[in-house]
Amino acid sequence: MTRNRLTSQPFRHLQDRIATGLITAGGMGVLLAVLGIGVFLVWEAMPLLLSGNTNALTRLSPLAWGTLKAALMALLFALPLALGAAFYSGFFMSRQLHSRIKPTLEMMEAIPGVVIGFIAGLIFAPWVERHLASTLVLLIWLPLSMGLAGLLWHLASRRWQRRLPLSWAALWLIPWLIAMFMVALWLTPLVEQAWWGGDLRQRLYLWFGLDYVTRNALIVGLAMGFAVIPSIYSLAEDALTEVPRSLMEGAQALGASRWQAAMKVALPAAWPGLFSATMIGAGRAVGETMIVLLASSNTALLSASPFEGMRTMAAAIAIELPEASAGGTPYRMLVLAALVLFLFTFLVNTLAEVVRQRLRRRYHRIGGAS
Amino acid sequence: MNSNGFALRIKYRTALGLLWLFCSLPLTGWAQTSGPSASGTLGSVGSDTMAGLMLRWGEALTTRHPDISLQFQASGSASAPPALLAGTTRIGPMSRRMTDEERNAFVERYGYPPLELRVARDALVVIVHRHNPLPAISLKDVDAIFSSTRACGGDHPIARWETLVEDDTGPRGRIALHSRNMASGTYGLFRQRMLCDGEFRPDVSKHMGASAVVAAVGESYAAMGYSGYNHLTPSVRALPLSTQQGNAVMPSETTIQNGDYPLSRYLYVYINLPPGETLPAAEQAFLNMVISAEGQQITRAAGFVPLPLSTLEAQRTW
Amino acid sequence: MKRLKSALRQGVWPWLCAGSVALSLLMLGALLALLLTRGLGHFWPATLDEVTLANGDIVAGEAVRELPLPDQAGNERLYFIGNRDIDDVRWRWVALDSIAQRTQPATLLRLERRTWGDFIGYLEAVDVNGQRITGQDAWQQVKQALRLPTLQRAQYQLTLRTPQGQTLRQSLATVLSAEAPNAMSVGQKVQTWGNGIWQFLSQGPRAANTQGGVWPAIFGTMLMVILMSVMVTPFGVLAAIYLNEIAHQGPLTRLVRIGVHNLAGVPSIVYGVFGLGVFVYGIGGSLDEWFFDEALPSPTFGTGGLLWASLTLALLTLPVVIVATEEGLARIPEAQREGAVALGATRLEMITRVVLPMTMPAMLTGVILAVARAAGEVAPLMLVGVAKLAPQMPLDGEFPYLHLERKFMHLGYHLFDTAFHGEDVQAAIPLVYATALLLVLLVLVLNLTAILLRHHLRRQRGSEC
Repeated sequence: MTRNRLTSQPFRHLQDRIATGLITAGGMGVLLAVLGIGVFLVWEAMPLLLSGNTNALTRLSPLAWGTLKAALMALLFALPLALGAAFYSGFFMSRQLHSRIKPTLEMMEAIPGVVIGFIAGLIFAPWVERHLASTLVLLIWLPLSMGLAGLLWHLASRRWQRRLPLSWAALWLIPWLIAMFMVALWLTPLVEQAWWGGDLRQRLYLWFGLDYVTRNALIVGLAMGFAVIPSIYSLAEDALTEVPRSLMEGAQALGASRWQAAMKVALPAAWPGLFSATMIGAGRAVGETMIVLLASSNTALLSASPFEGMRTMAAAIAIELPEASAGGTPYRMLVLAALVLFLFTFLVNTLAEVVRQRLRRRYHRIGGAS
Repeated sequence: MNSNGFALRIKYRTALGLLWLFCSLPLTGWAQTSGPSASGTLGSVGSDTMAGLMLRWGEALTTRHPDISLQFQASGSASAPPALLAGTTRIGPMSRRMTDEERNAFVERYGYPPLELRVARDALVVIVHRHNPLPAISLKDVDAIFSSTRACGGDHPIARWETLVEDDTGPRGRIALHSRNMASGTYGLFRQRMLCDGEFRPDVSKHMGASAVVAAVGESYAAMGYSGYNHLTPSVRALPLSTQQGNAVMPSETTIQNGDYPLSRYLYVYINLPPGETLPAAEQAFLNMVISAEGQQITRAAGFVPLPLSTLEAQRTW
Repeated sequence: MKRLKSALRQGVWPWLCAGSVALSLLMLGALLALLLTRGLGHFWPATLDEVTLANGDIVAGEAVRELPLPDQAGNERLYFIGNRDIDDVRWRWVALDSIAQRTQPATLLRLERRTWGDFIGYLEAVDVNGQRITGQDAWQQVKQALRLPTLQRAQYQLTLRTPQGQTLRQSLATVLSAEAPNAMSVGQKVQTWGNGIWQFLSQGPRAANTQGGVWPAIFGTMLMVILMSVMVTPFGVLAAIYLNEIAHQGPLTRLVRIGVHNLAGVPSIVYGVFGLGVFVYGIGGSLDEWFFDEALPSPTFGTGGLLWASLTLALLTLPVVIVATEEGLARIPEAQREGAVALGATRLEMITRVVLPMTMPAMLTGVILAVARAAGEVAPLMLVGVAKLAPQMPLDGEFPYLHLERKFMHLGYHLFDTAFHGEDVQAAIPLVYATALLLVLLVLVLNLTAILLRHHLRRQRGSEC
């Protein structure tokens, strides 16, 4: 009897309408709350903007510069690596390896910033200071040695080529790179002694007027580059693999090598995707807090030297906001910095998302037409 | 069908959980305010220099009163007055004295001044790498090295070791300067005493904690920095400071306690105590511990210079 | 020569690309290897050296690291020598050239003490109930007595001798553990190692976070993450269902969807600012005025705490859950929904009976990813409620058991704090490594679970369609 009433038509429809209303209300509420972040930031920063206090803005400018510098250094290091890795795993890597490597690289993204910052600031930075020449040499030597491995491969006998195929190069290059790393560490001090008088830092000052600070933009760039590689890689790789196979196959049928097909066909087709991957990476680098906080010297300088530190907006917020009393000018200034970060990342991400969706539709058309 | 039931069950549970969560909101505060005597929450916001000291005192307190819960935040002395003012905490450890401005703001808000308690003596030391051969440094030179204003009367800025040391010993190149971040009381004190209220050079590295400064100086031969006396490790060397009279004073327990060392200071604990009222049990137990012999023994273990018990006892007003 | 030319023509670019993958893997591997060796290595009982210097000084302790001397040839070595109550310092740098003799005496002991940190030296005698035991028996006696509860240990008085010959007396009650690492067999070392790891995981920090374990931080992290999932799951799912099933699929919805997706890319510190401004100062301040005005000026909710931290992180991870759930919803074939409706189900019945069970794994994936992200975030927590030391757990036997207003410890912040705020970085670094390893493992395991789940899900769906 009761069961009957509960499952009767009008009741069910009432229930449905109530539930739909609740879900709508809840969903709308959540969305409003989430979008309320922007509203809150604008609201809190408004008095400062309206007061026309230029002093706060001049205090903000070195921070903005530091943020850009840190992000640029990170991208300088991460972009070649991430895009290279994306091209390799998109076109050359064996299927079997691919299914293992891609999740592994994506796991890199999960490593907390505080861990990377700690290693970079307390372990890596002093090491680089002691081995400055070696580090600079390594930055050039490691890419060269990869190319060298390629040359040697071409020169090697067929048997070796079969044994060490390109499709597995990501694995067998690791011992090679370790060996090359050791070679560079061993050779550089000798070279430094012979050419640069044993102290590169002194030379840098004499030649370029550059001073070396332990926790500098180079360290931040390397550490943060490490953190943004996976997000760029993952999106770029998706963009490349979504290029319709028919395009690649057509080019190769016309006699292009795989690399030529990748460069001449896939790259132009996928570049919006690569662009949006870069944008996402830039957004992540701009907002990363802990790495910069721990690995940079936190000096609000307007300097372009890679061997000097910087202070970013995110780091300034993390350090200074707990001390700023609510409603004061420093508080509003930091909220303004947060607003700038919010707007920047939001715009960059939106741009990336729009570009990506458009690209996906285009692929769909091409794929559908063939 | 089965998984459907599962989904529904989960939903009921989360709903129940949420309900319970919101119901418990008002109760939590109630439970906090009514408890047996030496229990409750002991919170403090303030000096980073004193963080280790506060933690050790807190540990000693909780071994005696296991019901007291500790919540210490240490982001710098400058965070103590706003926290006291906002009422975020009742205990504010500071490695410098409150400025008149901070005190007045407190009086304006509450109508009575905060209770000031001197708990230990500390010193700022100028540190260099352990192998740096520099014998001593004058106060004027410190200002010329660290500041951009040279308010203490240096003639020219000193940015490189070549300018500071005429002969060919020790590190060369730029003096890598290491400092605390702006919220720190150590930063404020150094600025006030050594830079004659001038400004720091903009390229001074600012570290999140005193031990980070010491670590950075200990790693780099060409570095110079400053830190609290308690943070000294054998990786760095404290420089004797020479004053106008010309004699260099090495920081040591004696010179810090009798004030011969120019950069010595008291450490303070500020308490929000309305006159005529008694402190909550947890705060009271804590302060009694601090001024006891045991508390001062802990002060030594934390690397600071303890005060004579008579001086401490004279400050008891609660 | 000809082959070289042909090699150059074919290009080395693919190898450079392959090298990028190899280099990334190498860096990841190096990071993990560093954390593993240093984090786990810390608990291995280190050999103690006794070194006689050329000038007659005796240094006994654990060799920690070696660096080249500046301005001259040769290396120097850092020894951890303990005995801070006697020497005032715990470390000593020794130039390798100045070492005349280096031995590893089997009777050299390392005691972990409550107030002054480690003691390194020799055991002379034990006094118990007026009886004096010396020699090897004394060491056996100490080892047995250490198993007693603290109160009973107070009757044991140790007479210790430093390597330099000074003697001191120490009550066994203040000694936490004692070992003679040079006399240990490999089996004993493994046991001590295991014990050390267990204590690290199960105990609270001591001596201003430079010793002891991280249990409160583990617990705080877990509790915060659980609270966060309780809040984020229903709301995230609700929003996803609304966006995907109920809202009219027009340009506005698409805009909102892009907006929500992009919030995943907004820096976490911005959420921290929001949490501080809205939750702590706004809502928390008002709650205090309404309900806890008798406690003012001590704030109850008007300061950072567990509740606000979980809420902030819930907001931070909301986009993650929405995106993952939406992905799951989008994968359900339209035919399923149409079938349900055709059989007479209302929309609510269709959602609860058909759609939700099918999206369960996707939802789970989203929540796990959210948890992984929240466990590793530190920056927003610095603004909304972690404490340096909060040995009192936010969950205890005192009514109402869960104290949402309390501050809590967090693994990531604990790492940051011990590494940069502590008293002595050198002493804290091994523990920092261990904490970092724990944090990374936690996050990686969570992520791995999510990846496997998603993989499994995709395969399952693939076979169904």
